[in-house]
Amino acid sequence: MSKRFGPTAVEPATPLWWGGIALRALTWLFALGAVIVHEDDYQRPALAWIVLGAMAVWTVLTTVVYSREALRWRWRWFVIADIVVVCGLMLTSPLILSPAQLAGVDPLITTVWVAGVPVAAGTRFGGYGGAAAGLVVGAATAVARQAFTLDVARDALLLVATGLLIGMSATTARKSAAALAEAWRKEVATAERERLARSIHDSVLQVLARVRRRGAEVGGEAAELAELAGEQEIALRALVTTEPTATGTGETDLRAALQLLGSSKVQIATPAGDVLLPAATTAELVAVVREALSNVDKHAPGAKAWVLLENLATEVVITVRDDGPGIPEGRLAAAETDGHLGVARSMRGRVLELGGTISLETAPDRGTEWEVRVPKAGTKR
Amino acid sequence: MISVMVVDDHPIWRDGVARDLTENGFEVRATAPDGEAAVRIATAVRPDVVLMDINMGETSGVDATREITMALPDTRVLVLSASGEHSDVLEAVKAGASGYLVKSASAQELVDAVERTAQGDPVFTPGLAGLVLGEYRRMADAPDGGAPPPRLTERETDVLRFVAKGHTSRQIAERLVLSHRTVENHVQSTLRKLQLHNRVELARYAIEHGLDKE
Repeated sequence: MSKRFGPTAVEPATPLWWGGIALRALTWLFALGAVIVHEDDYQRPALAWIVLGAMAVWTVLTTVVYSREALRWRWRWFVIADIVVVCGLMLTSPLILSPAQLAGVDPLITTVWVAGVPVAAGTRFGGYGGAAAGLVVGAATAVARQAFTLDVARDALLLVATGLLIGMSATTARKSAAALAEAWRKEVATAERERLARSIHDSVLQVLARVRRRGAEVGGEAAELAELAGEQEIALRALVTTEPTATGTGETDLRAALQLLGSSKVQIATPAGDVLLPAATTAELVAVVREALSNVDKHAPGAKAWVLLENLATEVVITVRDDGPGIPEGRLAAAETDGHLGVARSMRGRVLELGGTISLETAPDRGTEWEVRVPKAGTKR
Repeated sequence: MISVMVVDDHPIWRDGVARDLTENGFEVRATAPDGEAAVRIATAVRPDVVLMDINMGETSGVDATREITMALPDTRVLVLSASGEHSDVLEAVKAGASGYLVKSASAQELVDAVERTAQGDPVFTPGLAGLVLGEYRRMADAPDGGAPPPRLTERETDVLRFVAKGHTSRQIAERLVLSHRTVENHVQSTLRKLQLHNRVELARYAIEHGLDKE
């Protein structure tokens, strides 16, 4: 990916806030037109102009608050106040309109200007908040009309739908912005990790490798220190060069996971590419290899061990070999029949659970060699 | 006396290795801090063995390995690398390196490896055997439409698996009832086939993309 995205510094729903502000200004002009057209039939024309003025003041006030990120976010109550004020202004309609107008099709004094409320509530509180605000304004319409007609129901439905849809858009915008920011953070973290790995590789590791080499040659106490330096060198190399990769499909890389088991006594041989298996399978196989290795440590301290991972077309094969004294014939079987929960049983159980097979080859002075085969397709969990 | 050139971008490491080799009777003919200098200097001083670090900042040890082994058929490249740089190591070996040693190897292991490399024997670690085995299987599973991928004989597969499981060539010879020399030849052959295939593929790529006319 050549193009890089940064987390958006502004609130992702900002365009919705501005849309709501523009809507309120435009619908106020519509209300003005409605007053001019219907003024002659009003029972209180003067009050109509006063309410219209109040609507203008409220439009300006909401613009001031909703255009500012800090205010609209901190003043949750302002959106509630918005609902109350707008409904209050709408409820002056029975005092202004004549009873005939009120029963007819002429608009209430606030007209479509009230739609600004579910828009603001939806943008601030999401779909449910927007729908609830639409419901309150719709109910206020019914009270103002002093009747629940089909027109009132239609208006209420439109208000609820507006609040719901705007609210859902705002939520979606915020969620995708958050996802983008998260992806960005991960990319930054990965880049930082790579930078650290490079710098560790270029400095600390070179010195540790040198200490290990030179100390071993000098001998004595220096050799002990060299041994320690060597342990740390290998551990650090494993840490900075490999990392079990989690993929989107729930698969993890067995190769990388096994690489982490390498030490000065354990050499790991793998193919160059990822060996992707279901995460649970990888974890089980790593556990099996760990058991085999800890068994080497316990029964053949000082022995070296090798782990070979082979990725065949239909199965993965893991071989764990050591050059220790080997297990005397019959001892494993004897331990098993005696009811001692030996390594063999535990390892065998794990492998069988994965639908695979495990075999042991050992002879006195020939070390031990476990071979684990697990099918790739149709691997049981 | 075997002549050696040490290529590494870390002075501490480079000088240390050069000193180890000198103390053990090798002639360190040159050192180089990066791949480009390595190619230039190697063609001038023609060492028997080039000790090549793979991971050198911007310049690639893989490309330098390819150019040196192409230009100087008598010079062998032994790759020294931190364990873990798997695909790089494989690429260097395909490009013509005759062996690979981890940087954590002891001075004695290094001396042995350089001697073996100078004699034309491959230096295989278990890790490299695992990589080579994996590469043959990858090529067999996913043919890329070019020249048919090389295959391992059954014997070669057996030998590589033994190497990957930590057996020495002497132990393998004993297990398979072969001569020590035959085991070495099997190992050598697995590398040769891989390198030849790699060169054929590079040439094919060059012809397809008109790079041969330049």
